[in-house]
Amino acid sequence: MNQFLVVLTKECRDNVRDRRTILASFSLAVLGPALFIGLMTFVLNTTLGEAREAFRLAVVGGEHAPTLLNHLRRHNVTVAEVELADPQQAVRDGTESLVLVIDADYGERYRQGQVNALTLIHDSARFGTARRDLMLAREMIQSYGRKLGVLRLQLRGVDPTLTTPLRVVEVDTATPAARALTILATLPYLLVLVIFMGGFYLAIDATAGEREHGSLEPLLSQPVSRIALVLGKIGAASVFSAISLLLFLASLAASLPLAPFHRVGMSLQIGFAECAAIFAVAVPLIVLGAALLTVVASFARTYKEAQTYLTIVILVPTLPLIITQMLDLRPTTMLMLLPSFSQASLITRIIEGSALPWAHVAASVAATAVAAAALIWLAVALYRRERLLG
Amino acid sequence: MIDVRGLGKRFGRVQAIDDISFGAADGRITALLGPNGAGKSTTLRILATVLKPDAGSARIDGHEIGTEDDAVRRQIGVLPHRPGLYDRLTARENIAYFGALHGMRGERLEHRIDDLVRHFDMSDFAHRRVAGFSQGQRIKVALARALVHDPRNVLLDEPTNGLDVMATRALRESVLALKAEGRCVVFSSHVMQEVASLCEDVIIIGAGRVRFAGTLTELLEVSGKADLEEAFIRLIGPSAA
Repeated sequence: MNQFLVVLTKECRDNVRDRRTILASFSLAVLGPALFIGLMTFVLNTTLGEAREAFRLAVVGGEHAPTLLNHLRRHNVTVAEVELADPQQAVRDGTESLVLVIDADYGERYRQGQVNALTLIHDSARFGTARRDLMLAREMIQSYGRKLGVLRLQLRGVDPTLTTPLRVVEVDTATPAARALTILATLPYLLVLVIFMGGFYLAIDATAGEREHGSLEPLLSQPVSRIALVLGKIGAASVFSAISLLLFLASLAASLPLAPFHRVGMSLQIGFAECAAIFAVAVPLIVLGAALLTVVASFARTYKEAQTYLTIVILVPTLPLIITQMLDLRPTTMLMLLPSFSQASLITRIIEGSALPWAHVAASVAATAVAAAALIWLAVALYRRERLLG
Repeated sequence: MIDVRGLGKRFGRVQAIDDISFGAADGRITALLGPNGAGKSTTLRILATVLKPDAGSARIDGHEIGTEDDAVRRQIGVLPHRPGLYDRLTARENIAYFGALHGMRGERLEHRIDDLVRHFDMSDFAHRRVAGFSQGQRIKVALARALVHDPRNVLLDEPTNGLDVMATRALRESVLALKAEGRCVVFSSHVMQEVASLCEDVIIIGAGRVRFAGTLTELLEVSGKADLEEAFIRLIGPSAA
């Protein structure tokens, strides 16, 4: 027990003094929530914007089609009649985001009842509301065209419904709040990643780093049990992972109120109780992660080699999350035996504020603890082999 | 006291050492002398319990290597081929880490480190982080660390490698002090003059086998040469040439 603490303290102290390790281990935890809240705000603002907000449409040659412009204005479009020598260039360089070009013979063809071609110029590579504006403009112009068609048929004494044998009515049950929640579902991924990143560099330094610097050999000739040694190293990585998670939770709790959830009638806040619950549920995963990183890094001869391996390993905990989401699996007690997925699903429940099924919690803790113990055993076996010295 | 009998070790198809036997007594400095790749390091690493021998046995103060490793580890202080210090810890912290692993705590550990810092003349840099230390300073710290638990047996693997004249002299004095304190010192080297000036017992290893075991004077008699270097080259045989 004492030796375990000696090793753990030494590894923590050693790594706390490495500025790069600290920066790399904890930057995701501190900055992640800001990134997350930023994304959330962006999604909320753009989806809410669909509630018929006015948008600007630049029109070239608007004088040829005054009724069309009136139709657009009635549908809350800010029509700006402009003179542009090269409308495509204007969109390309960003002075306009959407330009409607009406040809000079529009009026003449209109009177003769011919087909008129209108050009909408847009840039699909652009982010933001441009895509939504394009869809709205297209829809409005088409609805105007349908109206004209109906009138022309009626003038000729034809029933206009003949041309529309089918009509599709779309009903979207998703509320803006639900859409915001799909973003919230990515939070557990980030959380699992934050846990693994926290222990990432310490695990490398304590294993491959120690071997590379030649300090492993004198260490192994000390009268320290291999179990205490391995537990000390995994323990130190767990401490860093736990700090990373705590920083993340603090940063998240501080920045969640900044997202405009109130606009969708939601109040999403996590307080001390939620943070404590998330942390408690995550503890077995923290140890499992530290053990996994330590085992894999022990195979590497150099720091750089370990970094390469672990970059791949760090994707492993996200696999259960991706697969279960692709298969659209509901969390059952059986699925709670899957580490990282079980924590993610429990944490989602905590954030949503719904009750935790205790059978799920028990299965998650037990299964993850067993997996962690197996990896610790593997690490001890590795440290008993002389090939570890390379 | 170290007693080695018939040690053998192979790495893959390479027989690193074969049937190595020798004894090293307390209060004496025993040299393991041989060219690079002769098997000196392998022998010392087996004695330091980090490698397991394929054949033979070794006892340190009566404790069998392989079956009583923890007891052996308490009786030895090891200065490996590379000092292997932790760069971000201070010299004192490096020493304290190993002391703590030996179960030393609090005042007892602090006093012991104070003694070592004084003995090795490290007070100027004992509180500084090891990163940036000279090779000589590193060897001092590593040696102090190896001695923190006051071991009866000290294994030094080519300790003078990369040291300048002053550092080499300081190290030589330290090794002589260890002998004066009655410890059993095993010292590997490929430098004849160094061995001649320090050790009374010499084990010459060539190509993984013991070529000679005895005192310095016996070495000169057996080889029939007055010059140590000539004696050395004759004994390690043509295989190393």
